[in-house]
Amino acid sequence: MNTLAGLALRLGKMLLQAAAIVVLVFLLARVVPGDTVDVLATQGDLTDAQQQVMRHELGLDRSIGAQLLAWSSAALAGDFGESIRFRRPVAGMLATALPTTLRFAGMSFVVGLVIAFGLAVMAATSGSRRTTALIDAVNIWSIAFPTFCVGVLGILVFSVWLGWLPVLGSMVLPVLIVGIDSAGQIVKPLYEELREATAAAHVRTARAKGLHPLRVVVVHLLPTALPIALTLSGLVLAGLVAGTLTMEVLFGLPGMGSLLLNAIHGRDYPVIQATIVVIAVALVVINALTDILHRLIDPRVTA
Amino acid sequence: MSLALTSATRLDRRSDRPPVTVVVAGLLVAAIVVVAAVAPAIAPYDPLDQDLLALNQAPSAAHWLGTDHIGRDVLSRLLVGTRTTLLIGVGGAAIASLIGGGIGLVALALGRVADTLVFGAVDLVRALPPILLALLLVVALGAGVGSVAIALGLSFAPFFAYVARAAYRREMAQDYVVAARTFGGGPLHVLGLHVLPNLAGALITQAAIVLPRCIVTESVLSFLGLGSSPDAPTWGRMVADSSRYIEIAPHAILAPVIAIVVLTASLSLIGDDLRHRLDPLRHARGAAGPEPQP
Amino acid sequence: MTAAPLLVVRDLSVLAPHGALVRDVAFEVAHGRTLALVGESGSGKSLTALATMGLLPPGLEVGPGTRATFEGAPLALGDEPAMRALRGRRIAMVFQDPMSCLNPFLRIGAQIAEALQRAGLRGATARRQRTLALLGEVELADPAYARRYPHELSGGQQQRVMIAMALAGSPDLLVADEPTSALDTSVQAEVTRLLLRLQDSRGMAMLFITHDLALARTLADEIAVMRTGEIVEAGPAARVLSAPRLAYTERLVSARRILLSAPATERPGSDEPVLAVEGLAVDYPGKGLFGKPLRALAGASFTLARGRTLGLLGESGSGKSTLAAAIVGLRRPAEGRIRLPGCTLTAERPTIPQALRRRCQLVFQNPAGALNPRLTIERLAGEPMRLAGMSRAESRDRVADAIAAVGLDPALLGRYPHQISGGQRQRVCIARALLCEPDLLVCDEAVSALDATVQVQILMLLRRLQQERGFAMLFVGHDPDVVGWIADEVLVMHRGRIVDRCAARDLGADDRHEHTRCLLAARPDRLAA
Repeated sequence: MNTLAGLALRLGKMLLQAAAIVVLVFLLARVVPGDTVDVLATQGDLTDAQQQVMRHELGLDRSIGAQLLAWSSAALAGDFGESIRFRRPVAGMLATALPTTLRFAGMSFVVGLVIAFGLAVMAATSGSRRTTALIDAVNIWSIAFPTFCVGVLGILVFSVWLGWLPVLGSMVLPVLIVGIDSAGQIVKPLYEELREATAAAHVRTARAKGLHPLRVVVVHLLPTALPIALTLSGLVLAGLVAGTLTMEVLFGLPGMGSLLLNAIHGRDYPVIQATIVVIAVALVVINALTDILHRLIDPRVTA
Repeated sequence: MSLALTSATRLDRRSDRPPVTVVVAGLLVAAIVVVAAVAPAIAPYDPLDQDLLALNQAPSAAHWLGTDHIGRDVLSRLLVGTRTTLLIGVGGAAIASLIGGGIGLVALALGRVADTLVFGAVDLVRALPPILLALLLVVALGAGVGSVAIALGLSFAPFFAYVARAAYRREMAQDYVVAARTFGGGPLHVLGLHVLPNLAGALITQAAIVLPRCIVTESVLSFLGLGSSPDAPTWGRMVADSSRYIEIAPHAILAPVIAIVVLTASLSLIGDDLRHRLDPLRHARGAAGPEPQP
Repeated sequence: MTAAPLLVVRDLSVLAPHGALVRDVAFEVAHGRTLALVGESGSGKSLTALATMGLLPPGLEVGPGTRATFEGAPLALGDEPAMRALRGRRIAMVFQDPMSCLNPFLRIGAQIAEALQRAGLRGATARRQRTLALLGEVELADPAYARRYPHELSGGQQQRVMIAMALAGSPDLLVADEPTSALDTSVQAEVTRLLLRLQDSRGMAMLFITHDLALARTLADEIAVMRTGEIVEAGPAARVLSAPRLAYTERLVSARRILLSAPATERPGSDEPVLAVEGLAVDYPGKGLFGKPLRALAGASFTLARGRTLGLLGESGSGKSTLAAAIVGLRRPAEGRIRLPGCTLTAERPTIPQALRRRCQLVFQNPAGALNPRLTIERLAGEPMRLAGMSRAESRDRVADAIAAVGLDPALLGRYPHQISGGQRQRVCIARALLCEPDLLVCDEAVSALDATVQVQILMLLRRLQQERGFAMLFVGHDPDVVGWIADEVLVMHRGRIVDRCAARDLGADDRHEHTRCLLAARPDRLAA
């Protein structure tokens, strides 16, 4: 019962966050001086009367609240309006861009987690100095080298100097760059947590029982690190957004990042709005899911 | 006990002297700040001057770092860009700490209801990662040094609010705060002697962590074409401008990339050292004996 | 001794990067017998136990000269595979804090079954049955326990589960590291009795680590006293305790003996009441938004006169600390009133006016937490002076006097709290409280976190200061000997109520309340085997 109430509360928070994002994005897009029709007016010759008609068609002459409501209800039904520049439904553009981004972000996420967990578990259980040095190196790497700088250097080295083609349009290099960056952001706290957990009393109990080291790690050590791992994964996701945006642009991948960038340059507000809302709501949902997963795994968390 | 004592004092002494890497990082940052201060005086060319007869030139005696795709001197742009880059980064971190710390403290001072409401709102805003929020704000506020700094400040402010609240709560729960009340100490005394010193430490630490992130985020924004206006070059903007000419003029992009890496890496190292130094639990940890028992 | 000893350890040293934490420790444990390693915190007794199990924390290792035999066969304590082969089958271990020692993610049954599997028991059904049998053996007979998670059990039950797990491999040697120290006194007694019974029925040998000499006397055949990483005295339990050869052991033994001696002569108290509590009740807010408030304390009434000491005796959760907190104005009374000099606390006015707060001072259980780590001793002790508007020079003299009065060297004034010992920190707290010139000093478990020898010093200090200055004292504690020694009158608390009250010297009388007798019978030295 308590667990159910907790779940309901968390889902409620998720919906509230999603709604807040929609409102925020919508309002910010309206703060910009000049609306969609003004943008179009600068591109082609439109008479005042034509502009008036257009505003009415697009619903821009209604109050902000009414516009927000109209946009949200349409968005819920999968209709994000029409791109100003391309005169195509935004939903369709999102649908073509989303798979690339999902694949890119997903692969980077997995690469990051594998590297981070691999190194952290190895270092925490063996105490090997070489592994901890490697952890420090990856950590410093991710702090010191912003992903887009590494991306530029990567293109320079592999494409321009070594001539290994094709670097552009391929996901290998950007996934590695963003993956290592994500790993660097979490590997140190993860390692510290695991090292602390290795010395934790219940892991010592497991060893005192004479259990096999592998069993000690899998059954007793790793679950302890789960809450922090979930928290850190949330952090990685937020970091992935920046990585995905820049890498897509830099490596010419036709995903949400490229879509957003082009929309910004073309002041294509419906696309900007829809892209940011979709990315942000996805993050909110993923964060809620990790929280819920945490609840399900840890018997101590009930409410 | 004697053993715990010696190990504690040793710990203190060791961490009083910063490691060599941090000293080097400090010197680099100092040098960059000096450059930012005197940049217009030492820049060999006007950073905006286009020499259409010298496009994408490799480094030479005339142009030490070469020229970019419209013939602007890379060194001059780098030097002058230092100022804008630092200004936006420091401004963003300062705005974030003032707004975030301020909101956090006011909410805490006003009591439970205000705390719940304000932090509920902060929670909602934080659902957006800083880069997305900053991006959105820049789109709304328009280009320019000021608006980018404000956008960064607002995006990173939630971190400071959380840090302020965590430090405040941790301190208020301490027995020595209870003790201070029993001596007749009022809220001002408790805040002044016990809470604020720690709070200030936590906020400074957070600012040191956020500063390089602000600089990186600015360069990402610039890279995406959303940074400052064209007449105020930043390093991120230089990367963005030159990214399409990477094959013909690698020097034009390499210079700002290296500059960004050096600055963020140095700032991160200093911030990390500061974090260890101002850790409120450091003394307590140092004092823990090797064999904790009742 | 007829047979060869089960475990022999010679020249054991435990090395840390900056030096040895345990040096030249030698002991043996005979079949079916108990050796107690006794020492204060930091003496190296737990490290010795962990080294014996091959479970030293990372960064520490067994010294190269160490030799050991188990059942006559040589044993390399630093050899992980060799030690793992013994652990869980021949040697098992029970630790101090059972809550953190159990895996929070697994049900009790699964954790015991895992130990059984390790011990070589095949078949899930067989393991399930054996798990229930083991739980029955540690007096958790209800099969429902096997399905619980650790956090759903009380501390005593958790420790029973740990013991059941240790028994899974039918070990020859049980290493028990302060297994009862984290538990309430009465639970402590139950677990101790259980251990004694199990050892008897199974014929196990036991290596028992404790800071409590009285407990060691009850349990052990042999005692080895440790100090700063070395065994300073060893021998048969009765001999070590009745005729200690070393001054240090003598001090340890006498620390307890002082408490057991009759309290000093009846002190002249006045009739002028400093504190009067009338029908006091305190509620804690319930869980969640609509949870019902929990009554932590109900119907408390008593008075305390100037120069007298009232003891509040009870286990954790008995409401004694809640009562203390309400008296210093930190908890809102739900009902009743607290009369203090100059003010009365009620539900409507739960806090003491700022100007009067100094007259009612609090000494905390954990002195490290009560001293701001960023300030020097001088500034910490001077805090009440500065608040009273005194100049720095004026306050410096007063602080120096107060520091001297609590028996501290004025040279410590420039130090920070983490640079002095726990006993010294508590003295600083007392000095600071006294600088407020209180009418009432509330000591909330003020000596519980300290070593036995330090405990006695602090208690004697408190008593001397009270005689000199005449403040009234409310002393909250869980140890009947400590509370009975320092108090004139004792209130016994149980589940939020005062169940018994008597003069301190009558605490041991036979006609006391059932719970009082239960608390007194749980004292380690009263646990007859």
